[in-house]
Amino acid sequence: MRIGIDVGGTHTDAVIMQGDKVLASTKALTTADVISGITNALDVILGDSGISQDKIETVMIGTTQFTNAIIERRELAQVAAVRIGLPSGNGMPPMLDWPQDLKDALDSEYFMLHGGYLYDGWSLADIDEVEITNMINSMLKSGVKNIAIASAFSPINSTPEEQVAAKIRQAIPDAKITLSHSFGRLGLMERENAAILNTTLLPFADKVVSSFLGALKKRNLNCPVYISQNDGTLMSADFVRSYPALTFASGPTNSLRGAYKLTGLKDAIVVDIGGTTSDIGVLQNGFPRESNVIIKVGGVRTNFRMPDILAIGLGGGSIVSADGSSIGPRSVGHRLVTEGLVFGGDTLTTTDILVASGAENIGDKSKVAHISAETIRKAKQTLHAMLNNNIDMMKPGGKSMPVILVGGGAILITDGLDAASDIHRPEHADVANAIGAAIAQIGGEAEQMVSYRTLPREEAIKQVTKDAMQRAIDAGAAAETLRTVDIEETPVPYMDESSTCIRVKVIGELASSPANSSDNTQESTL
Amino acid sequence: MKIELKHLEDLALGSVFLATGGGGDPYVPRLIAEQAIKQFGPVEVIDPSELSDDAYVVAIGSVGAPTVSLELLPSVEDAANTLAAFEKHVGKTVDAVASFEIGGGNSLIPIVAAAGKGLAVIDGDGMGRALPEAQMMSYAIAGVKPTPALAYDYAGNVSTFSTNSTEVYERHIRSLAMAAGGMITTAEHPMTGRELKDSIIPGTLSFSIKLGQTLRENRGLATDMLAPLQALFKDSIYGECRLVYTGKVIDKATRIVGGYDIGEATIESFDSSDSPLTVSIKNEYLLARKGDKVVTSVPDLIVIVDYETSTPINAERLRYGQRVAVFAVGCPQFYRSDRALKVVSPRCFGFDLDYVALEDL
Repeated sequence: MRIGIDVGGTHTDAVIMQGDKVLASTKALTTADVISGITNALDVILGDSGISQDKIETVMIGTTQFTNAIIERRELAQVAAVRIGLPSGNGMPPMLDWPQDLKDALDSEYFMLHGGYLYDGWSLADIDEVEITNMINSMLKSGVKNIAIASAFSPINSTPEEQVAAKIRQAIPDAKITLSHSFGRLGLMERENAAILNTTLLPFADKVVSSFLGALKKRNLNCPVYISQNDGTLMSADFVRSYPALTFASGPTNSLRGAYKLTGLKDAIVVDIGGTTSDIGVLQNGFPRESNVIIKVGGVRTNFRMPDILAIGLGGGSIVSADGSSIGPRSVGHRLVTEGLVFGGDTLTTTDILVASGAENIGDKSKVAHISAETIRKAKQTLHAMLNNNIDMMKPGGKSMPVILVGGGAILITDGLDAASDIHRPEHADVANAIGAAIAQIGGEAEQMVSYRTLPREEAIKQVTKDAMQRAIDAGAAAETLRTVDIEETPVPYMDESSTCIRVKVIGELASSPANSSDNTQESTL
Repeated sequence: MKIELKHLEDLALGSVFLATGGGGDPYVPRLIAEQAIKQFGPVEVIDPSELSDDAYVVAIGSVGAPTVSLELLPSVEDAANTLAAFEKHVGKTVDAVASFEIGGGNSLIPIVAAAGKGLAVIDGDGMGRALPEAQMMSYAIAGVKPTPALAYDYAGNVSTFSTNSTEVYERHIRSLAMAAGGMITTAEHPMTGRELKDSIIPGTLSFSIKLGQTLRENRGLATDMLAPLQALFKDSIYGECRLVYTGKVIDKATRIVGGYDIGEATIESFDSSDSPLTVSIKNEYLLARKGDKVVTSVPDLIVIVDYETSTPINAERLRYGQRVAVFAVGCPQFYRSDRALKVVSPRCFGFDLDYVALEDL
């Protein structure tokens, strides 16, 4: 038996699953301390089902906390971004194309240093010790502790990033540092952006992971704990302390997979309406459609391979303008139960509109009696139009498709959707994310430096794929379900004319029970 | 017309389509162009016919392996410094700047160079697409001499060239590009207004903006994009536009060899009903084949786009697992002439086959 937990900005959902069967489920509010929200949810599902803790083999947690933090510009730590690569890219500093409000939220500073290597291993420029010393002095002065470092061609040669990191650590022993090459792949700007976003989340990640583990300990769950990442596979909870950005698209991935599990519909549009955002995604053959184009997170280009998701600022806690003509992207999130009008607060939210319209009976109806019919009409129209327009943008062509509504905010949709061929609201839809987390997949990744002179390319790829599959099987994947999701080749010309680094990632379903060891869970990055 | 901030997104998008996989990702050049226009104001675009016969024009752009541009970022001043160094080298001032390649980032670099000096940029280019070698430019084919020319690297090193043969010039700048980290900015093929009018592929700058607008406004499935694209291409210098394949990238391998990105991509149809499509790459997508059957070949355009959004994908960003569609577009008539085919036919790239126009395949 497995427990799936989804910790969102507004709700914490939990399910106990045995194979494909949901034995117990609950939806609790996310609490400010996160811990009590999780323990509350655990109490309900363990209590309702009467299942004892020692029957639980694994706990899988999905969380949108990190994505929400970026989107809402909160919980973000001060960051210094260091780029190594001058004189190239002069006048093109890090974060150049970022939304200004996000830059402000990071209270960011940047440094551009001489150094790095060219594609063929030749020195791009000499390192300037004085430049580095000045940078470190400036960091000491500002007190910045979270530092992202990106160097040109670091996926081929990461030495410059490591050298500068070592120098910073000497001066600032408690610095939290992200090196861009851990986010793989050529594409300096996108890789650097991923590293900066990751860095600004590091202190928050520590807090969140400690809360997760603390809550499980409190309820005597001592089994392995995993957290789901972008592609629907799992990573160990501790790994998230260093790589919170790897959770960015896990929420949508989990809800898409959960929606598929609940309806059996292999091809459909899935709309997951939470407290803060609505995520619109597409199921293709039972899996999230992946985006081919650069994915923006909170307005920033990154290089993550992610499901093709359109996220809009519309959820149950979204703040509504007085006349109902605009909704979101600001949300009261988990403070809905104190700040929403029906709960005695003084912020007009979409939930208040829903209650005022008579569609739902939540909180104290009398608190929204004063809202005019015109405002209600306008707000409902705004909300449905927001979804219709965005679903149309995601539909494969003019094809009419079924729409699966999941998430706690699905109740906001009262008038049907013109963009859908039909609407499905499956049982347990409100906890689809937690179900998706509980059925998360196992990934396996292998990397090898090969020379095509001694090993033909096809053979080499086969070999690395086999290694990746073995790792996935060791980590608990069912062999017959494995599929290759990524092959990445990086020629490394300076080592030998035909040296190539091959990296292969495979993904498969969890076999009946995962190997009870977190040592071999996939711990490499994208 | 003037190039303003509002045009840059469409120009970049259209130019990636015309880049047929090469030309480099225009994202960074676009950011630089934005900065230049904010600083110096919109850039005047003039039709070649408006240029006086004795005007002095130079072509400016980047030369190298597109993969490099993902990592070795250009500096904001590269284009302006290249132009200034060129003027100093020839002892003359330039009256207007032209693009040698409308495909990819090289659609924007002349705009950046022109902005800083308050010059006009010419509506047209030397390829109508992107092609890997200098002698394949319409300017060179029409007899314009490649030099005096000048190259500027990321560290501000300057090299000058003097040769009458564009083939020799190509060898020289290519080896310099390799030595300078894989990417350089050049000012080359200087010409008079008269020579430019006789050799340029006209109207491609404004056409690229229109194309970008079409891609943006109809963003969606490639199968739905076909009609608006055909409507746009039909009355242009390109003519034919076809959707030749849809499927998933199952293999892609390129390496930087001799200063070019060289390799191959294989696409398998979604339902495996069709035999796989192999696309040969030398910076650009040059040849698309199903088994032995040629589907499209250079100089006609092979364009790979994201299947769901129809966003064109540069070869260096093409990856395993991507769902794509392949469009084929006829090249401008200029490139179907005997003198052009002498330097751009499939044989010039080492393929053992003659060029057959898209319409006749």
